[in-house]
Order: sequence, then structure tokens, then C-alpha cells
Amino acid sequence: MTLLSASQPPLTAEPPAPPIVSVQNLQMVFQVPGGQTVALQDANLNIQKGEFISLIGPSGCGKTTLLRLLADLVQPTGGQILIGGQSPATARQNRQYGYVFQAPALMEWRSVLANVMLPLEVMNVPGDRRARAREMLNLVGLSKFERNYPWQLSGGMQQRVSIARALAFDPPLLFMDEPFGALDEITREHLNLELLRLWRETGKTVIFVTHSIPEAVFLSTRVVVMTARPGKIEGIVDVDLPQPRSDDTRESPRFFEIATEIRELLKKGHA
Amino acid sequence: MTVTARLDAPRRASPLGPLALAAGVAGLLSLCLLLARLPAAPSSGLPWLLGVLALLLVGAYGVRWIAGGEGRAAHVLPAAFTLLLGVLAAEALLRAYAVPPGLIPTPSLVLGSLWEARTVLLQDTLYTFGLEGLLGFLLGTVAGLLLALLVVRFRFLELGLLPYAALFSSIPIVALAPVIVKAVGLEWPSKTVVVAVTVLFPVVVGAVRGLQSALPMHLDLMHTYAASPAQTFREVRVPTALPFVFNALKVGSTLALISAIVAEFFGTDGHGLGFRIQIEVGRFNLSVVWAAIVLSSIVGIAFFGLINLLERRFVVTGRNA
Amino acid sequence: MTAAAPGARARRSPLLPMLAVAVVAVLLYLPLMVWANYGPAARSLASGADLGCPTALACATQLRNPVLPSPGQLAGGFGALSLPPTSPLSAPYNAVVTGGETLLGLALAVVVGLGLAVLLVASRSFERSTLPWLVASQTVPIVAIAPMLAVLLGQYGVQGFLPKAIIAAFIAFFPIAVGMSRGLRSPDALQLDLMHTYSASAGQTFRLLRFPASLPYLFTALKVAATAALVGSIVAEISTISFSGLGKMLAENSRASDTIALWIIMVYGAVLGVALVGLIGLIERVATPWKART
Repeated sequence: MTLLSASQPPLTAEPPAPPIVSVQNLQMVFQVPGGQTVALQDANLNIQKGEFISLIGPSGCGKTTLLRLLADLVQPTGGQILIGGQSPATARQNRQYGYVFQAPALMEWRSVLANVMLPLEVMNVPGDRRARAREMLNLVGLSKFERNYPWQLSGGMQQRVSIARALAFDPPLLFMDEPFGALDEITREHLNLELLRLWRETGKTVIFVTHSIPEAVFLSTRVVVMTARPGKIEGIVDVDLPQPRSDDTRESPRFFEIATEIRELLKKGHA
Repeated sequence: MTVTARLDAPRRASPLGPLALAAGVAGLLSLCLLLARLPAAPSSGLPWLLGVLALLLVGAYGVRWIAGGEGRAAHVLPAAFTLLLGVLAAEALLRAYAVPPGLIPTPSLVLGSLWEARTVLLQDTLYTFGLEGLLGFLLGTVAGLLLALLVVRFRFLELGLLPYAALFSSIPIVALAPVIVKAVGLEWPSKTVVVAVTVLFPVVVGAVRGLQSALPMHLDLMHTYAASPAQTFREVRVPTALPFVFNALKVGSTLALISAIVAEFFGTDGHGLGFRIQIEVGRFNLSVVWAAIVLSSIVGIAFFGLINLLERRFVVTGRNA
Repeated sequence: MTAAAPGARARRSPLLPMLAVAVVAVLLYLPLMVWANYGPAARSLASGADLGCPTALACATQLRNPVLPSPGQLAGGFGALSLPPTSPLSAPYNAVVTGGETLLGLALAVVVGLGLAVLLVASRSFERSTLPWLVASQTVPIVAIAPMLAVLLGQYGVQGFLPKAIIAAFIAFFPIAVGMSRGLRSPDALQLDLMHTYSASAGQTFRLLRFPASLPYLFTALKVAATAALVGSIVAEISTISFSGLGKMLAENSRASDTIALWIIMVYGAVLGVALVGLIGLIERVATPWKART
């Protein structure tokens, strides 16, 4: 079991960089008819700038809850979160992150380009918004479709637009909640490669929720393994596979080892 | 679809179809002209009935043939020809059986009355549709939208006002109209009020439902943008509500015309389609009554079509494109 | 410390807000009523009539034919017109008569509508020829035909209860036929394929799949048709010499300018409309027990 934290202090006198996301003793308890549900219990996590973190676990393990807590979409019942040294609410006001949902959540009444421009309009971003949106569409390879409407695009393409939209206002963080869950395996693997390319080119910190072990291993620098009832972090696995990763990476023995490690952790928590 | 296959004709490249259609139409037309030329009503209607039925069958075969196709024509023409055949058959049969025009006027008589009384009827239409129907529709829609905004903004109003809206919408127009006409007067404003009240409730209900049906995911998205409530309203709630509002407007458009006409039954100052229908029924001038009904039907369909057009313009629904 | 589960919405009782709204509405109505009745009251007094009250203001709530009745007058009129309930002159009795006509008309419309819907689904050419007209007819003020139809039927000796029912049926027929045809065609392609794998005959597919699937559509259309048919019945009653029914009461009191009676009849009309839709809802619950209730 590799429980290394990525921030091993270097041997020079340089102080370690503060984590961009810091989660301490986080707790989330929901009131449901007939009692309470402990969605998240005592979670602790530090994420450095530029990492690609996956949250993986079965349903009910709290991974989506954790992401939503970070995004200030829900308030914790205990514990503390710091994003770039600020509270999640302040981070949200300062537009520190882009959120990609499980479904594309595009607005049917806007064209693809207009959809990508939406955050720029809402946030009143100065400058040429059209050009910026076009740039983002180009980044995800959908320039040709800027005038189309969402219903004319496949699921995978819509999700790419959703990612372009999240990147449009250049936030330092990217929160992604099982964005490729509804897609077929082949499209998914392709989009995984695309996402890694985007990550490399933009240098953002990505927190990615998934329930697919291969996806988590392929994409991440570290994988946070969570288990359910109550939701908690079972362990954190370091993924020391070389970058840039390619389809060959998926077939390497080390890939298999890490995936097995994660699987064992999941089984342990499930027992 | 085995059931469909049995009753529909497989499409062959034969000229029989269009020929049958032409034969049916031409045949019925000639029967009508023949009957028109007769000096007196025929002694027996039976031979004519058989003739009409036979020609209808021939024509129906032709229509069936057209309907079997796939192109644009196959969608539009069958209905058009059915109307034509039906009108011609009605004309022929009514003449053959010498039905008194005070009972059921022939289509040609109706068209004739439509032309003769055109100024009066157009005036009536302007009155009923323009002043009462359209104006009432606009008033009811605006009031309904404003009310819906209030209801969505204040939960108290949603709980306290909406049940009454449902209650009031079940008052049959014909019971509401006399009360309002008595209160407001015999002239057109009373009917406008009736129309406005009738249109108000579907619009409120539809708009409230629409404004409350925003996708949670879209609302979350705006939350992550730290968008203001006004921005969220403008970018998410309003576009999501539009399809619901237009549905309500379509319902309202039909109700508007019906309400105006029915309200006129309870008192007018001598204008309007409803008034005309009531008066002429009493005088047994049924051809004018039918002319008025034809006119109100055309106006009704046109109004509905207009709303549909507006909907296409403002609402993006990929599936129906 | 706990939080509410995501998506939960507080359930408050609507009674208090409804009461508050009602009180506000009445408070707004009273000055409006006085203002509306003031004019006629003043004119009446000026012409020397003895109304039993000293000033126009006091008379505003006492007029025999007010522009807007006072709550007191409404309550009094309500009692006068409702009791005894079994009397042929009372509003409840007439409401039941009109309701009966409408229900009979709806039943007729369902039978004929179902037949037409089956034809519409069975033959595509029939559908293409007639469905556009059926749909268009819903945007047409069919109720305009009611007076004429009533007189026509009267000429042919069809009097009393039946012509109103026929007119109600005529009006209800179109939305029911359209709704049912949509319902008969609603089964999933997958479900139709399933029947095909059973080598089911057209009749079996109809009985076991299409017809049950169409029932929810039927009831939706019935509720819409019921209100329209009710209007039709009442209009038919007004247009001919009727011996009973809300329409007959409306016609009498409209001519007699009995405003208060008109308001009472309006209330009964609303109650009848609600009752009809409620009855259809009840039948729906029994006929489609599988449907999820929101």
C-alpha cells in the first residue's frame, strides 16, 4: 500500500508550497426521512497545484459530495475547506474553478459557441469573448461546430463543449464529476487522452470523480480511494506512471499493479 | 405494423390512383352542376345517393393512393382532397334530397352568403376577434405572466393563490360571461374582460410550471459562476419556461375566440360573430350562420398558427425540427 | 448539526395563505362593489323610487339588481336558490340535469371517438385524410355550432335531454378522438416488437397492448373535453326551449336581470365543472391503477 503524499518536503531550505486545496476533518451528514445519512466522515486531503486527483469509490462513498462541498454547492456540517487559502464560498465568488457535471448540462436554446460564452457573459469578462470561446472550442477540437445546437451533437461532443465552457474563463481549478460516465468505452478512452492533453497544455489542477479504476489510474497523479457507509477516504494511491501517457500506458504491467492496489483498497473498505 | 399494412394499399406505379381521384372529383362536380340545372327537385333522392356514394368510393380510392406515398404531397394533399370530396358530396346530397336551406344550407349557398354579407361579417370578425379576442388575449397573457412572476417570487402567493386559479379556471365560460356582462356592460369591453379572465389562468399555471422546471444542473452551473439571481433568471429560468408558456398560449388562443363568441350570446350592442350567429339562428338564416362559423374557424386556425409560428421563432427544440 | 437532504422542499399547509388571500380579496372587493353600485343606486333614488334606504351609499348593498352583489346578498341568494335541493327550480337540481346531459354526451363521445381512433391507427391514409381536420377542429370555436345544432335537432323532433347530450358529444368528440389515437399509437417500438415475437394477432396487440396504453391519454383528453362539453350543454340549453338545466336558469335570469341569481348560477357552474373533472379523475384511478400519481 503506497500512502505517499506528493508533497515530500525537498531537502533545500525552500518552504513547501501551500496546497491549493486543503480539506480538514470534513464531515457531511444529511437529514433524510427516517434518520440521518453520513455522506462523508472525517475526510482529510491536501492537493498541490498542478496535480490530477481522481476520487474513486462505489456509490454512496461521498466522492460527488466531496466535490460539491469543494465547489460550494453544499455546506459541510463539520470541518474546514480551504481553496487557494480561501473558503469555498469566496473561491466561488472569485471564480476559482470550473465545474463539469455528469451530464453536459448545455443550454438547448444556445448555440455551441454561445454555450461556451455563457460564463464569460455572466462573469462580465472583459475582452473579446467570442475569440476566447473560439479558442476554447479549438482546444477541444470542435471549432467546426460553433454554430450548431446541442441536440445536433453526440454525447461525447456535448461533453467536450461542456469542458470548453469550464475552461473558458481560465480558472486555476477544474472540478469534474464523472464527466465521461454516460459514454461508451471507446469514446471514453479517446476523451481521456484529450483531457490529459488539455491538462498538460493548460497546467490546471484537476479533481476528477469516477467509478472506473482504469480511468482513474490512466488520468491521475494520485488516486483518492473512498468507501461507503459511512463515506470516508480509505487511502490515497500514488500513480507514478510516466508522462505523457498514451494508450500503451494502459497495457503496461505497472498500470495493472496500481489498478490492483486500488481494487484491493476498495474491497477492503467494502468488507 | 400488421394492422396498417392490411388496410392501406401498397403503392404501385399505376396511374389508377390519380385517375380515380380526378374521376371522383369531376364526377361529384358534374352531379352538383346537373342538380343545379334541374328545374325542380328530383322525385327520388335514392339514385343520386347511390351515385354520390359510388363516386365517393372512387375518390376515396384515389385519396388512399396519394396517402400511401412519402413525400410532402402525401402529407398535405389527402386532407385537402377529403375536404373537397366531402363538400361536393354534401352539396349534391343536400340538393338531391331537397333539404330546405333553413335547415341545412348547401355549401354553395354558404359561400354565396359569405360573399354577400362580407362587409357585415368582416366587421363582426374585427369586432369579435380584434377588439374582444385579441385584446383580451393580450391582457390576459400580460396579467398572467406578471402574476406568475409574483407567485414564483413569493412562496406565500404560490400556496395561497394558485389553488384559486385552478378553481376559477373550472368556471364554465358560459356561466362566467353573464356575470361579467352584467357588471361591465353590453359593449365590447365586457367580452374583452371575459376573454382576459379565461386566458389568465392557463397562462399563470403554465408560466409558473415553466419557471419552476429549471434543471437543477443548470441552476448549479450558474451557482458555480457566482451569478446573480437576475442573471440566473434571465439565462436559465426564462428560456426553460418558454415552451410551457407557449403551450399555455396555444390553449389560450382557442379559448379566446370561444369565450368572445359565447360571451356575446349574453348581450352585445349589435356587433360580433356570436351576436350574428344568435340572431340569424333565430331568423333561420342558416347560410349566414354557417358563413360566420366558417369565418370564425378560419380566424381560429390562423390565430393558433400564428402562435405556433412565434413558438418556432423563440423556442429551440431540436426534436421537432 | 445536520442539513436537509438535497432536493427536499419544505411542506407548508396552503390553508393559511389561502385564507389570507381570500380575506384580502374580499377587502378589495367591498369598496369596488360600493363604488360600482353607487351610480345606479343614486339614479334610482333620484328617479323617486322607494328603495327602503336613505342614501345612495346605504343602498349600494341593497339594490335588487346590483352591478356587483354584496357578500350578504350572495349568501341570501345562495340559500334562496339552493333550497329545497330537490325542487326543479333549485340550482342544485338543474346543475345535476346539466351534468347528466354532459356525462351522457361524454360517454357517447368516448364510444364514437374510440371507433374513430381505431380507424385512424389502422389506416395511414385515413389518418392523413382526417386527422388534420380533427386537430384543426380543436382550434375552431365549435361551440358556435351549438345554437344551430340545437334548433336543427328540435326541428327533427329531438327534444329535451337528448339534443343537449348530442351537442356535448359533438364538442367532446374531437379532443377525445385525437387523444385516443395518440394513445393507441403510444406503445414503444420495443413493446410492439415483443408482441411480434409472440406472433400476436392485430386484435391481441390491440387488446393487450394498445388499448391499455391509450387509457391515460383518454382520461387526459376527457378532462379537457369535459369542460368544453359542459359549455356546449349549457349553450344548447340556452338556445332552445329547455325545461331544466343551468342554461335554462341562466336564460331566465339573464332576461330578468337578476344579477344575484347569475352569480349563484356561476358558482354552481364552477362546482359542476370541478365535480365533472373530479368524477373523471376517480374513474381514472379505478381504470388505470398502474399509473404513477404525481
